[in-house]
Amino acid sequence: MQEVKAKLPPPPVGIVFDSDMNRVGNVLALALLYGFDGRNQNRVISLSVSRPDLRAAAFTDAIRRFYSGGGFSRGLPIGFADGSRLSGATPPMITEPLARKTADGQPAYPNDVQQLTDTAEPHALIRNALTAQHDGNAIVFLAGPATNLVMALSLPGVKDLVARKVRFLSVMAGAYPDGGPELHIKEDVAAAKRLFVEWPTPIIAVGQEMASALPFPGASIETEFAWTPAHPVADAYRAHKPMPYDAEAPELAAALYAVQPDQGYFKLSDPGTITVLDNGQTSFAPSAGGKHRYLIPDEAQRDRILKTYAEVISAKPVVRRPRFPAQQQEEKKEVPKPAAKP
Amino acid sequence: MIVTRKALPRRAFLRGMGTAVALPFLDAMTPAFAATTKAPVRMAFVYVPNGIDMRHWNPEYEGALGELPRILKPLEPYKDDLLMLSNLTHNGGRALLDGAGDHGRCCGAYLTGIQPRKSAVDIKVGISCDQIVANHIGSQTRFPSLEVGMEDARQAGDCDSGYSCAYTNNLAWRSESQPLPPILDPRLLFERLFGKGAELTPQQRALQTKFRRSILDFVADDTRKLQSDLGARDRRKLDEYLTSVREIERQIEKAEHDNAQIDPGMGKPYGVPADFAEHFKLMTDMITVAFRSDLTRVVTFLVTREGSSRPYREIGIPDGHHPLTHHRNDPAMMEKVAQINAYHVRQFAAWIEKLKATEEGDSTLLRNSMIVYGAGLSDGNRHTHEDLPTVVLGRGGDYLKTGRRLTYRRETPMSNLFLNMMDRMGVPAVEHFGDSTGRLQGLDLA
Repeated sequence: MQEVKAKLPPPPVGIVFDSDMNRVGNVLALALLYGFDGRNQNRVISLSVSRPDLRAAAFTDAIRRFYSGGGFSRGLPIGFADGSRLSGATPPMITEPLARKTADGQPAYPNDVQQLTDTAEPHALIRNALTAQHDGNAIVFLAGPATNLVMALSLPGVKDLVARKVRFLSVMAGAYPDGGPELHIKEDVAAAKRLFVEWPTPIIAVGQEMASALPFPGASIETEFAWTPAHPVADAYRAHKPMPYDAEAPELAAALYAVQPDQGYFKLSDPGTITVLDNGQTSFAPSAGGKHRYLIPDEAQRDRILKTYAEVISAKPVVRRPRFPAQQQEEKKEVPKPAAKP
Repeated sequence: MIVTRKALPRRAFLRGMGTAVALPFLDAMTPAFAATTKAPVRMAFVYVPNGIDMRHWNPEYEGALGELPRILKPLEPYKDDLLMLSNLTHNGGRALLDGAGDHGRCCGAYLTGIQPRKSAVDIKVGISCDQIVANHIGSQTRFPSLEVGMEDARQAGDCDSGYSCAYTNNLAWRSESQPLPPILDPRLLFERLFGKGAELTPQQRALQTKFRRSILDFVADDTRKLQSDLGARDRRKLDEYLTSVREIERQIEKAEHDNAQIDPGMGKPYGVPADFAEHFKLMTDMITVAFRSDLTRVVTFLVTREGSSRPYREIGIPDGHHPLTHHRNDPAMMEKVAQINAYHVRQFAAWIEKLKATEEGDSTLLRNSMIVYGAGLSDGNRHTHEDLPTVVLGRGGDYLKTGRRLTYRRETPMSNLFLNMMDRMGVPAVEHFGDSTGRLQGLDLA
């Protein structure tokens, strides 16, 4: 049995996705990861939201379900930061798609998140997802405050687990080599400080400077996404800002690098150490043994990258079937009642 | 006024030849003018295999318990003492790259919170929470813990896709590699409880059977002496208690007599009743006696082994339990699974009735207990390890706020519940157990 197992090709890399779902770049990044998932280039194994906004969790779940095409979607619960100090109103890019109805009055983008108990504790969810991965076969994607990841790191044994399972952390946070305070860092400076000090694997950071270097081609929303009249990513994009516009989406660079680090899309900085300052700024100090690097935009790759973004995100969902069908709830009524006594 | 009355020790025994019958909690055990003696808190885990038909387990409401779903219906009279917990998960029961073997894993992980090592020989899991409790309070009772079962106590061999039978056939683990096999035979359990802790050899048992009517005969002198010192209320309690012990003895003798009439063609344990309900009743009657007389405060009860293929002809189901659970949405098979699930709960409810009827000071044995009833799988068809069916009966001595359904967030570890229970059983602050992430919130009356 062991020999057969050894001959099997390694499964696609597992992606842990954690985000505040506060910017359209987060939505696009999640869609990119699911697009690659449909091509068997990765598997999204954990989804968590770091903002206490139940509708953000609901929309994350709606995207998961959309990209499953109505098929098997591994029933992932959505990790959700409950009661953290992060807050903020739900942006239109989430409220509008969630409010959209079909012709018969049903939600256009159904989801399984109606109340807090439909969500999961994010730190337990992330930990549990990693326990199911082969060593060195997971990548963690972060585009938001580090709150959830730091909570996970605080659980017993999780630092060792991360060191064993995770190749690297791909994080959109900060500005490199220097710049002003960045939103994801500012949302939880203490967590960001701990993350860059304690995270046990290499970290590849994407800074705010990537936003203007690689804006998402907004024109593709009206063309490549037109295969369906109702696409949650297209709706979110339209709701985010008046069209037409090219969205700043540095999160996409972090997602693309996470799945295809060897495709030469980006240049990499020398190794070094990223330090988070009290005001939310980041500083990068090169050092030969440093575990941190940051991505550098490569103008020569720009068109190739933008084409990949649009193609992968707009791809039709791949429908998978479960090994065992779930018990059919509707059969409940058909089951005869038991006799009064055995 | 001079108070001369001396209190009876809590751990008093009626003694006779080769016999020691522990006493139940009596008023005479409370020193005069002393504050009311608090009865101890007991903890038990009752485990049923192969998951549950969750369509008939989970109600469609939260909070205060209303009408209970079909499988839990037998517990309706006791729902004021029932706490239903939803969404608890055992990640250690999942495959986590180890392939098939959910039955072996889920049972091994159930009270340990650890994924068992996949091996039929080199077993390893973790110390179970009941044994952590037993290690801390076990010296206060005659038995630190009791392990009881009804089907299969084999410890060797491969019982599920490479997982040792030690995982499917035990709940309690003294250490990460040392399971505590359950006692299946009522006679052996009886002798463990009343025979000074030693099980008799067949020769000794035959000799004793030949010359005795009851173990109560051996302690008759002690009983008479004690009765003369007791008040009317305590005499009644003692009489009821000894009658229940005698009743257990009679049931065992009947099972032994019945078994002697048939040749099962296999090494059937000496006193195991052929009837499931009778067996269940005998075992739980003895657990009741053990709790009542403070012989132990910690019990694990593996109703049948995980992955059990036992048929239930008692209720007209000749099919094996495990094959039925892989019903692939066949309504007829699903119905049989629900009937088996409900049948188990009916036996359990009868025990709960007895615990509730057993007075203990100004409370009841049930109120002073925490009896967890559940399974290591939820959907036995798909082998799911989340939203494990879990109810707790009893209040743990006015600790648990019962009569409610509490739904936790998804992926909340079952191990979190065990932390709360260990706290309540008096184990000094355990920071972490299994895959716990903290303690369950909102369980208690505070």
